[in-house]
Amino acid sequence: MKRKVVALLVAATMAMSLAACGGSTGAASSEPAQETEETAEGEAEAEAPADDAEATEATGEFNPDSDPSAMTIEEVREKNGAEVAVENGIKLGAVQKSISNEFWRTLQSGYEKAAETVKAAGIEYEVTIDSTTDEGDETGQQTMVQNQTNQGLAAIMASPISDSNLTQAVEEAQEAGIPVINVNDGLIAIADYYVGPNAYQNGQLAAEWISNKLGDQGQVGIVIGMAKAFAARERTAGFEDWITENNSGLEVVAKQNADWDRQKAKELASTWITQYPDMKAIFCNNDDMALGVVEAVEEAEADILVVGVDGIGEAYDSIRAGKLDATVDSFPYYMAQVATECTLRVLAGQEMPHVVATPQALIDSENVDKDAAEIIGWTDAAYVAK
Amino acid sequence: MRNVIDKYKRELVVLLATLGMAVFFTILNPAFFTWRTFLTVLQQMVLNGILAVGMMFAIITGGIDLSIGCTFAITGIGVATLTVNGVNPFLAILFGLAIGVVLGIFNGFLVTYLKLQPFIATLGTMSLYRGIAYVWTGGQPVTNVPDTFRNIFNGKMFAGIRFYVLVMIIVFVIAHIILSKTRTGDYLYAVGGNEEAAKLSGVNTRKVKFIAYTICSVCAAVAGLVMLASLGSAESTAGAGYETNAIAAAAIGGTRMAGGRGTALGTFIGALMLAVLKVGMVVINVDSFWQYVVTGIIIIVASYFEFIRQDIAAFMARKKA
Repeated sequence: MKRKVVALLVAATMAMSLAACGGSTGAASSEPAQETEETAEGEAEAEAPADDAEATEATGEFNPDSDPSAMTIEEVREKNGAEVAVENGIKLGAVQKSISNEFWRTLQSGYEKAAETVKAAGIEYEVTIDSTTDEGDETGQQTMVQNQTNQGLAAIMASPISDSNLTQAVEEAQEAGIPVINVNDGLIAIADYYVGPNAYQNGQLAAEWISNKLGDQGQVGIVIGMAKAFAARERTAGFEDWITENNSGLEVVAKQNADWDRQKAKELASTWITQYPDMKAIFCNNDDMALGVVEAVEEAEADILVVGVDGIGEAYDSIRAGKLDATVDSFPYYMAQVATECTLRVLAGQEMPHVVATPQALIDSENVDKDAAEIIGWTDAAYVAK
Repeated sequence: MRNVIDKYKRELVVLLATLGMAVFFTILNPAFFTWRTFLTVLQQMVLNGILAVGMMFAIITGGIDLSIGCTFAITGIGVATLTVNGVNPFLAILFGLAIGVVLGIFNGFLVTYLKLQPFIATLGTMSLYRGIAYVWTGGQPVTNVPDTFRNIFNGKMFAGIRFYVLVMIIVFVIAHIILSKTRTGDYLYAVGGNEEAAKLSGVNTRKVKFIAYTICSVCAAVAGLVMLASLGSAESTAGAGYETNAIAAAAIGGTRMAGGRGTALGTFIGALMLAVLKVGMVVINVDSFWQYVVTGIIIIVASYFEFIRQDIAAFMARKKA
């Protein structure tokens, strides 16, 4: 009898994961940065009304990629003035996820860099950074936000694991009068502000680059990440819409999910290479999958461009080695600095747009060794003591 | 001949179903019926095949091993770290296999000495081993594995077939020999069929289970080696969710979830079927969401036939009596 119960349990687990969430465990881990970006960019929005509607539905009425009032940090600095007045002794909180993942570690060092910049202006400042180990600890992350609320921090910058796991904690923070700034995804629909990259534009940049390289002709494939992730949908939509809107000669002949998993992406690409001998380029929703596809392309000795998204260190190495062709980097190091600046502007009483789009750029062999600050034209914020 | 057919009826049915699938895919897209596609199928069944044959050993004893995906990741990381630091690739492989042995023995210890339910014990080690992988690497991937290691598995033999296909075949042949030609094989089935009876007739059930879990983990380690050779890098997050596909392949191949029955040949065909299904659906361009639906239905249908077969057998037996 006992055995039967166990057998049943096994069957149930198996059916569940195979039928629906084959990647759920994998997702957590193998989707470092990717599931992360959604953003705001007026431009993107204007170009993509259809995608808009779809994404809005899926994420509860809030799609930062299509917020018409979205601004870049440069636009904010122009509108509100370069100077940011900061109260002496101010304390901020940051809650992020998946410290096992390079993207989030980089975001953390960005918060630390921002703190140095503030302190360099002679201001007493402190930021408390809490992070979960992986993407599985949804309730742990909620507790982190609640703790920071209880500590009475001035504002909280939060990057939730899912679109919903922090909702309650954010409500509590807001009731306590603490503004919450949503940094990167998941999306907190009720957050006061959103700061992050534009995932839709990721796809557009990739499509444009591939089109230029191929003389706007040829078959392309798209390896998508787990579809529940906002970033996966937006990146794919941005890529496809760019092709449609520009009447491009590129033709998407294949589009399949590989669960953010490197091995799965490699196997998928191997199948495509056999099946579509004329395939000229493959766009992947993240670098991890792109690095798997690169292996398949190398093995087949095929002449196929591979483009990823995220800009992880391994992708840079691969580009330098002449294997991966390009990646769209959303610079978490600078994203955290933009987030800190926006938060301090909010606290200084400045009028801020609901969505601030953070810098991103396409990296290929030509600019792979260029300084990131130079690529995005970065200048540190100008903090002054209040 | 008759005997052989009788003995491998289940395997034959699954093989025929797999061939039927291949015909179906070929009708929808003739491009499916090519040597290169066959090669793709063969290569893509390797990881799951090796994991599944190991899983089958645990299942035959009436257990399960949910931790194989994590053993797979740890092996990848360990061997990658060694080879990147210039250790002889063959020594590194031995080290990888040793990781499999140690992790398998620990699983066996939990199941036998602590008498934990295998499902729960390996659910625990699944998290434990994954944690070790994270702690070991700090989440960083280990990259730039040298070609001297990669070519051992990833090199081509002839006609474009890679060495790791041979590795898989060797694993299956060894599994087949253990199960059908050795006393250990008999004991494995005995323990899974009726543990009490096996114990009473003098079988050292603890030892048998230790062997099963160790074989299972070693298979996961071998799969980890193949993955490392194929990707050239190792991540702490690799192999998440792979245990479910391994269970599916074993189950489709006729391994009884309650223990006591299962063959290497059947599991091989089960893994083959899943690979044909996976590649075929990509070739005929089935939407990826539907692939999950179809895979789920196939597993349910395959298991259902297994139940029906048992019912018929039981009915016939009763009638005779």
